[in-house]
Amino acid sequence: MMSSTEVIRATTSRRFVGGTSGDDRGVVVRARGVQHYYGEGDLRKQVLFDNNADVYEGEIVIMTGPSGSGKTTLLTLFGALRTVQEGSLTLLGRELRGVTARDATRARREIGFIFQAHNLFQSLTAFQNVRMGLELFGHSRAEMKRLGETMLARLGLGHRIHYKPEALSGGQKQRVAIARALAHRPKLVLADEPTAALDGASGREVVTLFQELAKEQRTTVIMVTHDNRILDVADRIISMVDGRIKSNVMPQESSVICEFLRRGSAFAQLTPGALSDVADKMIVESFPAGAAVIQKGDAGDKFYLIREGEVDVLVGGIDDPGTNVALGTGDYFGEAALLTGAPRNATVRARSPVVLYSLGKDDFQAAIEASKPFKEELLRMLFMRQ
Amino acid sequence: MNERTPLALKNLTHRPRRLLVAVGGVGFAVLLIFMELGFLAALLDSTTAVIRRIRADLFILNRSTSALVARARFPRQRIEQARAGGDVRVIPIHIENAVAVLRPARDKGYPIRVLAFDPRQPLFDLPGVESAASELLGPDTAAYDTTSKAEYRFPGPTEPPGDFTGELSGRRIRLVGRFALSTDFATTGTLIMSDQNFARYFPWGAGGEDPLSVVDIGAVQVGPGASVPEVRARLERLLPNDVKVLDKAEYERNERAFWLLNTPIGYIFVAGTIIGFVVGVIICYQIIYASLDDHMGEFATLKAIGYGRSYFVGLVACQSLYLSLFGFVPGALASMFLYAGIAKATGLMVVFRPWVAAVVLGSTLLMCTVSGILAMRRLLAADPASLF
Repeated sequence: MMSSTEVIRATTSRRFVGGTSGDDRGVVVRARGVQHYYGEGDLRKQVLFDNNADVYEGEIVIMTGPSGSGKTTLLTLFGALRTVQEGSLTLLGRELRGVTARDATRARREIGFIFQAHNLFQSLTAFQNVRMGLELFGHSRAEMKRLGETMLARLGLGHRIHYKPEALSGGQKQRVAIARALAHRPKLVLADEPTAALDGASGREVVTLFQELAKEQRTTVIMVTHDNRILDVADRIISMVDGRIKSNVMPQESSVICEFLRRGSAFAQLTPGALSDVADKMIVESFPAGAAVIQKGDAGDKFYLIREGEVDVLVGGIDDPGTNVALGTGDYFGEAALLTGAPRNATVRARSPVVLYSLGKDDFQAAIEASKPFKEELLRMLFMRQ
Repeated sequence: MNERTPLALKNLTHRPRRLLVAVGGVGFAVLLIFMELGFLAALLDSTTAVIRRIRADLFILNRSTSALVARARFPRQRIEQARAGGDVRVIPIHIENAVAVLRPARDKGYPIRVLAFDPRQPLFDLPGVESAASELLGPDTAAYDTTSKAEYRFPGPTEPPGDFTGELSGRRIRLVGRFALSTDFATTGTLIMSDQNFARYFPWGAGGEDPLSVVDIGAVQVGPGASVPEVRARLERLLPNDVKVLDKAEYERNERAFWLLNTPIGYIFVAGTIIGFVVGVIICYQIIYASLDDHMGEFATLKAIGYGRSYFVGLVACQSLYLSLFGFVPGALASMFLYAGIAKATGLMVVFRPWVAAVVLGSTLLMCTVSGILAMRRLLAADPASLF
């Protein structure tokens, strides 16, 4: 399970920043505290609030959310199409905050863009349109021909490469646009409803291609889509509401969490529905050995469940190693402050590298209100522990 | 970077009908500029045609002479004085262009210009005049300019000159030769005759005195052994300052400058050229802007995938260049046809001149470049973030 937990680390907490510093191998996009505003002066309106996310190499991430939730804005920020106003955004290891227009343009060359509209030049053939996407890279003429034709053939357009867009169907045009975005083998593909113009079978072919690229070339795909037919290809679904990342889950991971929760004593009381609800809201966090997960005296904001690894609970704070309690896989901590409203009564430090499932305060409260036995169980355990 | 897809050319030629309209628009602006500059060049060349056809190294003129059409004469003594200047021949030329009226048979009279000289000395570089020199010595004879306007009813190229019947200033005239000079904006026709005949037709020339006692132009032919600058210096020393001495180039330049700067005519054609240019800029701008506007999504996509500002500047520059060239060729061809028609109808020296073509080509390139720069702003405003 380590490999699947490894690729997903995202949180809405700033504390997390310290937790993973220095570990950015395989990170394609990393957002930290990204805020964004539209308009000026009195009309200035905040559209993104403190967004944090890491997207790893070879991942297929689907972004969902109602219109106006900020997902498109976040996508354009990922693509260096907008200026980063607040926070930090790294694209392939390069900080985008404060870059010049020229550097942003250069950074975009490593991305494949797929838009809702195909935006093909009517005056150029399918191949020439694809070649426009290759000409920035100094390939030889023969190399461009090979790359362009290969990609078009792969998208089922091998017999249409010298057709102009007006001689192609809507789906074929969209596939030419996709070939243009992918022909130069970008590390990252940003797509906006790539399958909206395609029938079921063509849409499936396109996402299958994404999966192959992700597997073979470790290409990362981030797409905004409402197409339920293709949700299953997502390694992770980022759902946004009102400018915030509301949840950031792996569909497969979610069921793993469910199973894990069912085995744990405290959560066993929950109904299957409530259990999967909690699992969906849990965020996976990892900390290296020695990192403080919670600090004594802080306000309680999250509940933690240990997926892997061990932590030390230092009741006397970080300076008092005498009163250690070690917790391991399946144990949980952080509930006391949430139940009592008091500050954290201990510091928790990772003894080994740990993977934790965390649940925000509000979601935690909602979960315990939904299930009386669960609340009672938690209170009983808390009482026993004290 | 390896060879690139010729996007500017492809976009321009993709819709042939639209291209045709674009080429027509630019071609029209090209034609406008060609016409204005062609007329201006014709005006300047036509008015100086006489000067070019006089075989002379230096010219003696009244000090206050501004142009051929503005009569300012000087006393004949100056000619005699100049003849003392060494190895030179000084030939007086008389011009009447104010009161000379040619009346063809059974018609009313039309003003005409009359040039007069002594036919015994070769002066005009006009074969028809040279070959008719002896006939011109006869009384009441003249040679006519074949480019003169049709109203004079001069005999056509295949008819003998003697077929003409008519009167010059109330006196019968016999035509004995013909030559091709030019009309200009002040002259619709020209006759050349001997000074003796000139005195017969225009006896009142100098307020009742001998009409040949005053001279319009003194043509100075410097002998083979003498140097023109030396002769000029000598003449300037010798002659009183009621006359001036110019060489041929200066004389032509003065004449051109008069029309260009001292009359509204030159100004009008320059203004016309500018208007043609502005019309061209507007037409080109519309064409380039429309072609860019149609492809905003595609250009924004190119921006998104990493094409930089310089690519788009180059693209618009290319498009402007192609548009200039595509428009110039038909515009120039149409101008050639129109020139030929106008030259035939007016007798003006409206011909296709390489320097005019070069200036028009330059203007066309500038025109499309200016339009391109204006339209460029539209392209640079393309926001790739708006595509998502």
